[in-house]
Amino acid sequence: MSLGYLISLLYQYLDNIAFLLLAALGLMIILGVVNVINLAHGELIMMGAYITTIAYNRAHLPLALCMILSTIGVGLFGMLLERFVIRRFYNDKLGALVATWGISLILSQGTLLVLGPSMESVSLPSWTFSYGGYSFGGYRLLLFVIAIVVVLIAGWTFYYTRLGVRTRATMQNADMARALGIDTRRIYLLTFGAGSALAGLTGALYAPTTTIVPLMGNQFVDVAFITVVIGGGTNPIVGALTSAALLSLISTPLSSALGTFIGRIGLLIAALVVIRFLPRGISGYLQDIRYRHMARVAS
Amino acid sequence: MTIRGPAETDGVLALRVKDLTKSFGGIRAVDHLNLTLTQGELRCLIGPNGAGKSTLFGLISGLHRPDAGHILFKGEDITNLQPFQRVRKGLCQKFQTTRIYRALTVAQNLLIAGGARRLSRTKNGRLSWAINTLGLDSESEVPSGELSHSQQQWLEICLALATEPDLLLLDEPTAGMTPEETELTAQFVINLNRQGLTVLVVEHDMAFVRYIAQRVTVLHYGRILRRGASTKSSRIMRCAVSIWESVES
Amino acid sequence: MARQDTGLWRVLNGPQELGRGRVFWCLFAFVALGLLAYPAVGSVFALSNLANFCLYVPLGLGLALLWGYNGVLSFGQGAFFAIAGYVYGIIAGNLTEMPAGTLLAAIGGIAASIAVAGAFGYFVFYGQVSNWIIPLLLLVLSLILETFMAQTAGYQWRVGSVLLGGYNGMTSVPSLEIGPADFGGASIAFYYLVIAVMLIAYLGLRLLVNSHYGHVVTGIRDDVERTRMLGYNVARIQIQVFVLAAALAGLSGILYVSWGNYINPSSMGLLAATLPVIWTAVGGRSSLLAVLLSTVTLRWLADTLAVKGGEYAFLIMGILLLVTMLFFPAGIVVTLARRFSSRKRVLGKLKERGAG
Repeated sequence: MSLGYLISLLYQYLDNIAFLLLAALGLMIILGVVNVINLAHGELIMMGAYITTIAYNRAHLPLALCMILSTIGVGLFGMLLERFVIRRFYNDKLGALVATWGISLILSQGTLLVLGPSMESVSLPSWTFSYGGYSFGGYRLLLFVIAIVVVLIAGWTFYYTRLGVRTRATMQNADMARALGIDTRRIYLLTFGAGSALAGLTGALYAPTTTIVPLMGNQFVDVAFITVVIGGGTNPIVGALTSAALLSLISTPLSSALGTFIGRIGLLIAALVVIRFLPRGISGYLQDIRYRHMARVAS
Repeated sequence: MTIRGPAETDGVLALRVKDLTKSFGGIRAVDHLNLTLTQGELRCLIGPNGAGKSTLFGLISGLHRPDAGHILFKGEDITNLQPFQRVRKGLCQKFQTTRIYRALTVAQNLLIAGGARRLSRTKNGRLSWAINTLGLDSESEVPSGELSHSQQQWLEICLALATEPDLLLLDEPTAGMTPEETELTAQFVINLNRQGLTVLVVEHDMAFVRYIAQRVTVLHYGRILRRGASTKSSRIMRCAVSIWESVES
Repeated sequence: MARQDTGLWRVLNGPQELGRGRVFWCLFAFVALGLLAYPAVGSVFALSNLANFCLYVPLGLGLALLWGYNGVLSFGQGAFFAIAGYVYGIIAGNLTEMPAGTLLAAIGGIAASIAVAGAFGYFVFYGQVSNWIIPLLLLVLSLILETFMAQTAGYQWRVGSVLLGGYNGMTSVPSLEIGPADFGGASIAFYYLVIAVMLIAYLGLRLLVNSHYGHVVTGIRDDVERTRMLGYNVARIQIQVFVLAAALAGLSGILYVSWGNYINPSSMGLLAATLPVIWTAVGGRSSLLAVLLSTVTLRWLADTLAVKGGEYAFLIMGILLLVTMLFFPAGIVVTLARRFSSRKRVLGKLKERGAG
């Protein structure tokens, strides 16, 4: 249990949180506001990675610009999806699930056919440093910082902007929001675009760290889905943060000791146990506690 | 001022609610409520909107968990039982907004309703009489979503009766009915009660309440305000109406 | 006329399924007899192919029951299919000396699927979770299983004497053997087994959905709270249906390994999880018959595409799924059947008016 080992564990913990947050936040925001599950989320992440890779390797643009292109590009694509597909499934969660799964197949198989089974990857900026016999990648620490910044921006938008207020109103009571003149369709469109943009950003950010293949979205979605299930759609920001922190707490020591497979099985079992007792996830449970506290205060 | 009705220990107690409390967020819907119902009684629960009537029903049938208090049904503490377990013990509720299987026919609705208590499939006499009286036997193959509003209400009462309850909770059974339909329903409920079924009714329609009630309980801000016996011209009824009207205005 | 009043006839022709009345059942009997007589004229190759398409029918019907009749979408039917296949392979491969070895293996395989489904169902149905959580978690399960199995190459990954085989999967799985009959993929015996299983599964499920229990199952789909308030232990019924669907998927899995004598991780994965959903959505999940027809048809389509352009297979499946969900949400077969029957009704009424 050397200090180096503990720091290495902490590094892995932060790295896992960043991964979960970036993979899941877009999905959770869409679930919380628009009330649909976008099963094409993995493919949107893949699109982000591909756009960055192509822009970097073919057009030789600076890496940061490529990532911005990914974010905007996938965000716009998401808005198209919302306009032409998602809109039909507002009150049909299972229908949206199946339809977006169809889109996910089209995107991944289409990419396979058009761009081939793999693509040359983007080189990882090599900012390594070592301590106590362990080496750490600076890039992945940067990802953690970016993840926190992204969550903060999302939270700030939710709670401190007029758009955020209108979005929260739509979340709580869409009919009432409409009656008060809020254009809920535009809220849904923008939210879906934002969630997709986040997916694109995630793909772009992780492109230098992994192989670029059409099915690369899969490695993100299984943890994203579990994070969403445990976090709950009641409050995407709080849900994403608490869920990522809790899940990384479970998976970091498990994968470190017993390998990634055990780590992922551990996450699935954790998800099953959590929803058995907290069916609306952590954010739903926190809301219940808040209401009970209000009840006690009122008496 | 409390007007005492017939002694509450007459007969077996069908339902006893002790110190029941339930809040939603900052709103206390039911506030240390005590209520008893003897077997074979027909009781009306009235009170302005927001007085806690539907919440009380939800607590009795199990849709909500109370924050405090107990519910005893036929002497047994059912406070921690799931809704479906309470139905199996003989407690069934008809909801305020009709919840029937709209896509299924009347016959299919009744088929489902009659199965949960594992009773022998011999005729449920009370149910057959009810279906007949309410005119639903001629609508057997009609999808229940296509019935008129009142027929849907009646169908839902029949679904509750199909579970062979000992205590029937009716939440605003005459909502949206014409005066003639209201009178029919009132007579129907009286006849049900005469057959021995304990009935607790929440109602807004004072004509209905006047018609059927033997004893009336008035709810206000989650507490019992007044209770007592009623005759068509009783003081409690006038008292209740005037309290209600003053609160509503 | 008297025959139509017996309970069985009434239940078979109940309202929860398409295709009723004497004309339908004559047609059904005709097709069934045709299938049973086919070996007299068909080549071994054609029989084996048809058997391959039909063995997936229990898998499809299970999902139709679960999703169409109970309202629970499952992306895990592929996982239950493959779990049964792998467990069968493990047990049968180790019990090659025993005469009833493959039969025990079949029971073991289906039992394994039931166990996993039961455990999963306990958590989600007693937790009363939102309906989207179930397909998500089952997708995760499929993904984890596929990823795990794909890296089990090498001698250290074995159970008894059976190698798990990693990415290439388990080979040389013995076919089902009951007594003297060997149900290998190219045999007529296997063809008859599959047809029999398919017909029995269909008729059995048809009786189930029209029974009292079947009505409660659809009641749960239409209004969960209402069904609870009528005294039903909804969670327990949902687990039962979920487990039944898993058992049917497992049954298909056993038939599959008996046919092909191999199984690999892609049978557990995401793409395999999608196929039953596509068959059910395209046919029309509210009708067992529609799903039976679409399963066989789409399997045939996939097989044809595999020869003529396999890379496009999943792209076409994805497009088919999207188009169906957008334009034929009730399913293509069901939509056509409804249009046909409503036209029949209109024509019938016109005839009445003309005659009167």
